[in-house]
Amino acid sequence: MTTQPSREDLLKAYRMMKTIREFEERVHIEFATGEIPGFVHLYAGEEASATGICMHLNDNDKIASTHRGHGHCIAKGVEVHGMMAEIYGKKTGTCGGKGGSMHIADLDMGMMGANGIVGGGPPLICGAGLAAKFKKNQGVAVAFVGDGGSNQGTTLESLNLATVWHLPCIFVIENNGYAEATSSKWSVSCKDIAERAQGFGMPGVMVDGHDFFAVYEAAGEAVRRARKGGGPTLIECKLNRYYGHFEGDAQTYRGPDEVKKLRETRDCLKNFARKVTAADLVKQSELEAIDKDVVALIDDALAKAKAAPKPGPKDLLTDVYVSY
Amino acid sequence: MKKPAVGIVANPASGRDVRRLVAKASVFHTAEKCNMIQRVLAALGATGVEQVLMMPDLGGIAAGVYRALQSPADSTSQRWPEVTFLDMPIEDSAVDSIRAVDRMMELGVAVIIVLGGDGTNRVVAKKSGNKPLIALSTGTNNMFPEIREATIAGLAAGLVATGAVPLDAATIQNKVLRLTVNGIDQDLALIDVCITNDYWTGAKALWRPEDLSDLFVTFAKADAIGLSAIAGFVHPVDRQVGYGLKLELVPPGRGFITVRVPIAPGLIAPVGIADIREIYPNELWPLQTSRGAVALDGEREIEFGPRDQVVVSLDLDGPVTVDIGKVMELAVEHRLFSEGFAPVSL
Repeated sequence: MTTQPSREDLLKAYRMMKTIREFEERVHIEFATGEIPGFVHLYAGEEASATGICMHLNDNDKIASTHRGHGHCIAKGVEVHGMMAEIYGKKTGTCGGKGGSMHIADLDMGMMGANGIVGGGPPLICGAGLAAKFKKNQGVAVAFVGDGGSNQGTTLESLNLATVWHLPCIFVIENNGYAEATSSKWSVSCKDIAERAQGFGMPGVMVDGHDFFAVYEAAGEAVRRARKGGGPTLIECKLNRYYGHFEGDAQTYRGPDEVKKLRETRDCLKNFARKVTAADLVKQSELEAIDKDVVALIDDALAKAKAAPKPGPKDLLTDVYVSY
Repeated sequence: MKKPAVGIVANPASGRDVRRLVAKASVFHTAEKCNMIQRVLAALGATGVEQVLMMPDLGGIAAGVYRALQSPADSTSQRWPEVTFLDMPIEDSAVDSIRAVDRMMELGVAVIIVLGGDGTNRVVAKKSGNKPLIALSTGTNNMFPEIREATIAGLAAGLVATGAVPLDAATIQNKVLRLTVNGIDQDLALIDVCITNDYWTGAKALWRPEDLSDLFVTFAKADAIGLSAIAGFVHPVDRQVGYGLKLELVPPGRGFITVRVPIAPGLIAPVGIADIREIYPNELWPLQTSRGAVALDGEREIEFGPRDQVVVSLDLDGPVTVDIGKVMELAVEHRLFSEGFAPVSL
């Protein structure tokens, strides 16, 4: 069975990646004004990963994210107005403005949360995967993890658990080369994190995380396998982030012009646009129309987030407990 | 540089592609590559090789070998050659292999040992000229390199490098398929060029037979794994005969025959064949497909569109490889492993 994306899929993928990029570029600009409380960790440059994975997911599926979670939220369908308001700490935010950038969660969309705890997502998806297995609803659970998170005990225990319980889980390791400021070449004991999967008895594959088509194809096979009861998979996406670990990071650990070169040669959006137009599948004008739509969407989300009220004193005692 | 010297190129990146997911392709760990190199070093030392030039890498292979060199228990229990890690920039890509081979050629190594798959050997072959290669497979999905015990490969390399077994008695010239796009030399393949209806190089590997259209092979064995098995199961072609094959592939049930072949480890699939013909050097084979991707030795590498003219041709002057079995036969026949015997004289 082919996993070639249809023309409609291509347009959807471009819109998704462009929305993530525009969202992050605007947050980058706005954060510098000092209006955004807390920390933000931007996903710009990594869009092909979230998009290539989440294009295969449906409302039944769950994802768990990282501190760099905006892209995962958007790719899973979380509404950008709520996200922007959440980042601004406003009452209209996805979590009522109480979570901020690192804790955006939207369970209705299957988004189990960005997570300030490095390696916090994998245990969550083992639970979600177990639930899907018991319910026999063909649901799949995906955890996004960084290269730093891949070294955490929580991640390694989850890889083991997912295999032991034969769960429909996919562990997506987004290896952007740095755990905060530490190069993964120093902190990861093997060249490719995908190599570790075999030790846990699951397939591990590595793809170019800048290439939507590479991620999409591998993810399609992993999701299909999980839905059919084939068990967990680890996918390592080798990619790069355009900004620092957090906004304000001076990035003294990066080479001169490193990001400039990445933007010139490894930009997933530019490469995607070049490929689909060269193949005569999508017109440049169609992509430009999407660009325009997305800019207007983010403009609107930003304006509404700024204008929205902050949570009041009464909100202190709401959302404290969750009833199941 | 001390003579005789041997070069070692070990690709730290081999074997992580999507075939681990869609088939049951093997995973070859860095630690095992380190072990293989140490076995090679012991064998090279035993045959009198004085120096080894090794490609550095960021994947832990060179680091593992370096650690072993610092460990008296490893490096002095048997006589190892002096190992020099090439002083070169490391880009963590195929460029490293190209750069390392260039440097080894400049420094005059006698033999280059390549640890990797078809893809690694393809990269090395672009630069190795007539320098003999010993191609050691680090995986189960390869046809160009041999699956050999590294110690034996090291012995064969040492026997050739020291001149104990003459080169012309123990090497073979391989064929290659050359590819031009719009008249410009683009790349080469050692085993097969396959045209796929996929528009994108994507996850690189090919495992969906319904997407394949044309297949060119340099040789095709009846015990092949991978795309060349499609030809090998119908019309085997020897590695050293002066022609290759071109096949037109169609969905199963169409064409003149459908064969079930192992297109990847653990993945046996039916493939229809509409046409099969021999191809010879100096023949140009322009692709009839207007849009798709070209896979070289099993991995999609080049995307082409309606405005591109892709042409495939067979060349008999490919890389030179050492016939490990032949070297060992000659060595035993002439008692080179026994004390007091002279090198083979032919």
